[in-house]
Amino acid sequence: MSDDTTQSAPVSTASASEGSAQESVRLVCVLNESGLHARPAARLSQEAQKFQADISIGMSGRTVDAKSILDILTLAAGHGANLELRATGVDAHAALEQLAGLFKNRFQ
Amino acid sequence: MALSILTGIPISAGISIGKAFFLNRSHFGQVPRQTLAAELVTGEMERLRQAFAQARSELAAIRDRVPAELKDHALIIDSHLMIMGDPKLMGAAINHLETLHINAEWALEKAVSDLEGAFKALDDPYFRERLQDVRLVAERVQNDLLGQKVDFKSIDSRVVLLAYDLTPADTIELQVDKIMSFATVMGGKTSHAGILAKSLGIPAVVGVSGLEEHIQDGNLVILDGIKGKVIVEPDEEELALYGDLKYQFESYRAGIIKNCHLPGETIDGYRIKVKANIELYEEVAQVVDNGGEGIGLFRTEYAYLNRTSLPDEDELYEHYRDLADILSPKRVILRTLDLGADKFMAHFGRLEEHNPAMGLRAIRFCLRHRELFKTQLRAILRASVVGNISIMFPMISGLKELRQSLALLRECQQELVRQGLSYNPDMPVGIMMELPAAVMVAEILAREVDFFSIGTNDLIQYSLGIDRTNRHVSYLYQPLHPAVVRSIKHVVDAAHQAGIECDLCGEMASDPFCVPILMGMQIDAISLNPQTIPGIKHIIRQVTMDDCKKLLKQVLDSPTVSRTNQLVRETVFQKFPDQLSFFFSLLDTDEGPSQ
Repeated sequence: MSDDTTQSAPVSTASASEGSAQESVRLVCVLNESGLHARPAARLSQEAQKFQADISIGMSGRTVDAKSILDILTLAAGHGANLELRATGVDAHAALEQLAGLFKNRFQ
Repeated sequence: MALSILTGIPISAGISIGKAFFLNRSHFGQVPRQTLAAELVTGEMERLRQAFAQARSELAAIRDRVPAELKDHALIIDSHLMIMGDPKLMGAAINHLETLHINAEWALEKAVSDLEGAFKALDDPYFRERLQDVRLVAERVQNDLLGQKVDFKSIDSRVVLLAYDLTPADTIELQVDKIMSFATVMGGKTSHAGILAKSLGIPAVVGVSGLEEHIQDGNLVILDGIKGKVIVEPDEEELALYGDLKYQFESYRAGIIKNCHLPGETIDGYRIKVKANIELYEEVAQVVDNGGEGIGLFRTEYAYLNRTSLPDEDELYEHYRDLADILSPKRVILRTLDLGADKFMAHFGRLEEHNPAMGLRAIRFCLRHRELFKTQLRAILRASVVGNISIMFPMISGLKELRQSLALLRECQQELVRQGLSYNPDMPVGIMMELPAAVMVAEILAREVDFFSIGTNDLIQYSLGIDRTNRHVSYLYQPLHPAVVRSIKHVVDAAHQAGIECDLCGEMASDPFCVPILMGMQIDAISLNPQTIPGIKHIIRQVTMDDCKKLLKQVLDSPTVSRTNQLVRETVFQKFPDQLSFFFSLLDTDEGPSQ
């Protein structure tokens, strides 16, 4: 068992050549007690908007846009929810690294 | 008779009487709706974009003016700024405008009503109430579109503020010193308005429908933040009644705070200790301020949560030592880890547990993971040389678990001796009585420990076989169920027969209906949230042990919970009819005590 609470599961990763499209997937768990409430959702969408990649969040068969705070709020992800982050674009890997870090640090 | 009496949700206790002042703002349902000729669409889109940009810069400017002590408001405004820029709001509004050829106000309104569907479908009330944030943000943009400005400067005397809603941004712009109290149409228990009222310490009622229809600027109103009423143009009699109630409430509030440092003692001289349940060192100040006579339950879980590595022995030792030291000579009862495997998935792997409440948790988890447990036991033992520390094991079901725990404690003591580290060999050892099995064998357990502490939250759930977070059965969560009352009595009697102390640290300790009954059983101490201590001490200080014993006798004969409640009301609260509502109105309803 990893000491880490987020687990990376790289799926089809394209060649590492500069500027090519990447696809990346990571599983994260909502560790903060109150879930993805307004403030964490604001942080998450704010960070996601810094990347060019399209980033989605999947939960229980629903998928929403990680750059939309409203989308994230309507996921109503509570404490302990397992989410799948998926990014496609030139900076997909870096984007998910950054977002997974937020989950790990409980959006502190 | 008053012109009208409106009702809402009381969110901050108190009474105020004054002139109504409306915070004049538009809200949905009133926006103009027009269809546009095709050539006007581009210009209208630009107007909508401009309004968003303007609203955004206004809000950002307000955010920069937020004083440091209102940091929470700043964070809420940040989330509002994100909503304002969200593609699902502005993008959707632009899209409606472009495809339907409608005016900007209508397009925005449509975008909001699209979002309403998504939010209203959510089960969780917290997330559902966030629709309100969307509305507030959109309202700001509407105000810019309609050219409406809110003039906060015009309040010239102290008023009862009335508004459709109050936003965190409003609260920065308002002259709060001019507001005696406020009422809003919108808002629920978790609304920003409630947080504001509590931080200002003024009465407030939210969720009042008909506010705008029934009240005009300058009307005389009574705002009752205890029962949740707004009384418009009261008559002489109502004014006299509420003037009196205001005085009583304010003396009650001042009195319980003033007297909270007196001992928990009945009129006829019977002493019961009133202690606090806490989980953070930082809460010590509240315990002292509210007259807590020690810590009846220190939840040690916090040091293990919100981190990826386990705390080491030295860190825990320093933590416990500092706590004991600052409260010395008051007693501090440290409850050993009451966690399940779900909280340690990173270290021990997640267990597939169908029913975690009956799974590997608390003492069972600790006895399985002995090294983790021993680290905590050694830290507690080392800290026990300072102040007045007791240790308490949770979820003990019988003698075997108790003896296994005591054996580990002895093992740790021997290790410390070998290492030349000191500990207090006489540190009292107690157990939580929270399983029906432990209740049944209380006499046996009492012979091998120094004290009991009854954890009523779990005891009630396990005794009545209900999960109170399950809304289908939560109505069955009844602290005064005859089975629960008898169980508690059995444990107290067993403890006293064995010559040991019996405390109680569940929510029943902060329930004014339960406390007189517990006192009748001659419980030695109760332990509760620090904020509730003054109100409970106040009740203790105005009853007699004689009353409590008589009440207990009747309660034990009472076959139903409703009869029991009636008995308590008649015995304790008949003399003070307003006291119960005062007591409850001062509790922080958002904060469900957990044990």
